[in-house]
Amino acid sequence: MTTAGLAELQFAVEQFLFREARLMDSNDYKGWLDLWADECTYWLPSNDDDADPHEHIALIYEGHKQLEDRVWRLSGLHAHAQRPKSRLARVVSNIEVHTDGGEEITVYSTFVLCEIRKNETRFWAGRNRHVLVRDGDGFLIKLKKVMLANIDTVIPNLTFII
Amino acid sequence: MLDQQAEALSRAGDWAGQYFRGDKVNSEIYTSPAIFEREMQKIFNATWVYLAHESEIPKDGDFVTRVIGRQPVVVVRGNDGRYHLVMNRCRHRGALICEVERGNQSHFRCFYHGWTYDNTGKLVHIPKDDAYPADFDRDEHSLTPVPRVEAYRGFIFGSVNPAVGPLRDYLGLAAAKMDYMIDSSPTGELRLDAGIHKTTYRGNWKFVGMDGYHPPVVHQSAFEIFKRRAANEHANLDSHTAQVQRKTMNESGLAVSRDLGHGHAMLDVVPHRVSEADFHLAAMRNAPGGERYVADMFAAYGPERATELIAVGGDPHLGVFPNLQMINQHVRVMVPMAVDRTDVYLYPVHLGGVSDEMNEIRLRRHEEFYGAAGMGQPDDTEIFERNTDGLQATVNPWIDISRGRNREYVDADGSIVGQISDEVTQRGQMREWARLMSSS
Repeated sequence: MTTAGLAELQFAVEQFLFREARLMDSNDYKGWLDLWADECTYWLPSNDDDADPHEHIALIYEGHKQLEDRVWRLSGLHAHAQRPKSRLARVVSNIEVHTDGGEEITVYSTFVLCEIRKNETRFWAGRNRHVLVRDGDGFLIKLKKVMLANIDTVIPNLTFII
Repeated sequence: MLDQQAEALSRAGDWAGQYFRGDKVNSEIYTSPAIFEREMQKIFNATWVYLAHESEIPKDGDFVTRVIGRQPVVVVRGNDGRYHLVMNRCRHRGALICEVERGNQSHFRCFYHGWTYDNTGKLVHIPKDDAYPADFDRDEHSLTPVPRVEAYRGFIFGSVNPAVGPLRDYLGLAAAKMDYMIDSSPTGELRLDAGIHKTTYRGNWKFVGMDGYHPPVVHQSAFEIFKRRAANEHANLDSHTAQVQRKTMNESGLAVSRDLGHGHAMLDVVPHRVSEADFHLAAMRNAPGGERYVADMFAAYGPERATELIAVGGDPHLGVFPNLQMINQHVRVMVPMAVDRTDVYLYPVHLGGVSDEMNEIRLRRHEEFYGAAGMGQPDDTEIFERNTDGLQATVNPWIDISRGRNREYVDADGSIVGQISDEVTQRGQMREWARLMSSS
């Protein structure tokens, strides 16, 4: 890929990640769900970034159907831990795009996130690995792995979309 | 200040009577720092506390660090192949000798002055030891053992009270209930090696009770998901416990709440699940590796007990006072940090002697409900925190745990039984709390 092509891809991927961040920050569950491919994995490991999910518990290890359930539940009236909802603002940065010109694009990024809920302020941070697939002019998420900085300490509720 | 308050409290006669009157509880027990201090002394320093499972330290040198109340402890498998429980405190000046949560080491070295102990706790090295007399007894300066250590089928308990009675007597009726989880493995083996959900909430440790009244309200959204799945094609009966999701609602009316004595309490869904044993057996046979599992269970336990165990699905729904619970696919440990701060560790269990697929499905079933990002536990956490805030209203400090007191009865085994949503469990836990807190 030419340098100009790579720069164009970098720009497009960054715009996609920023859009995802905006949808998550605004608790736009439906809009966020639309970013996902039908065959997908949403993965937050627990205890260790590299823990094998087949043998080790995760915080979240879900396919599309479970994601639909998650979004459906959060959209209802009885997800108490999100009533009231968290107010969110995050920065996504250090965006590194890896492509071999094939179908899949791997993207590494880092986020810092401020959550305000019921007069409590919490900071969350971590690293992301997205695997994106092209969808027309844009992308869909095939894999999103979120590696929390506080992956192995006690954590409070994590009920917003991260 | 706290000490003065605690002292004033301890001088009062019939201490617990101020706070627990059979079916009423003064909510100060959830908010008072002085009462929390007393709990550390009268409960966590006095009775048996669950610390670790043998499977967490399978190899020589494997260790985990834990606490008894606030006292730091190392649970380590020594090079002699036995497990040792020692206070995590250097015999020289008292710094931690082990500063990580788990690992494998032949020795523990205090990084203050370098005193070094082997993994049985024996003092083996003092830097520049010419300053001590020739007859300085190193064995007398080995790590201090936890005064009492006993285990029940792999579950290691410790007590810092040398006079505590035998563990088996303390567990009493709860021991056979623990077996429901242990014997859901055809080889009777649990492995706590699947990681940990480490969670925390802003509230008192006693909020994690054993409550059969809250699920339809607190977990309404999760139950709606289960119903929604039952109506959709992805409601496949694919697991050891997916069955429970469809049949958890006690349609039979046979599930009960049970006070097992010594503060141990149980939401006893066994009669309900056994009444639907055919359903559970069929579901299990359809699960990946299920046919083999059913055959192995029948071979190991005989048809009657195996049918019961499969129907129960490894879920005793049991609380062992004060800090252990065994629920669905996990072992849960409550760690009181402060009067209004509690850490809760959930250890999903792998079953020995079952297929990898079945164990993996169990992990997914656990994490969809539990953990900081599950669809169940965070709503419990939210309610606990609302409880913490609500209890700041002290004009009328009494809370009510009378539900079902008019219809409870004593079972043949001596346990007290109520309907599943009755507060038999809370009353049982409070009785043990009051007994320990009133002790001299």
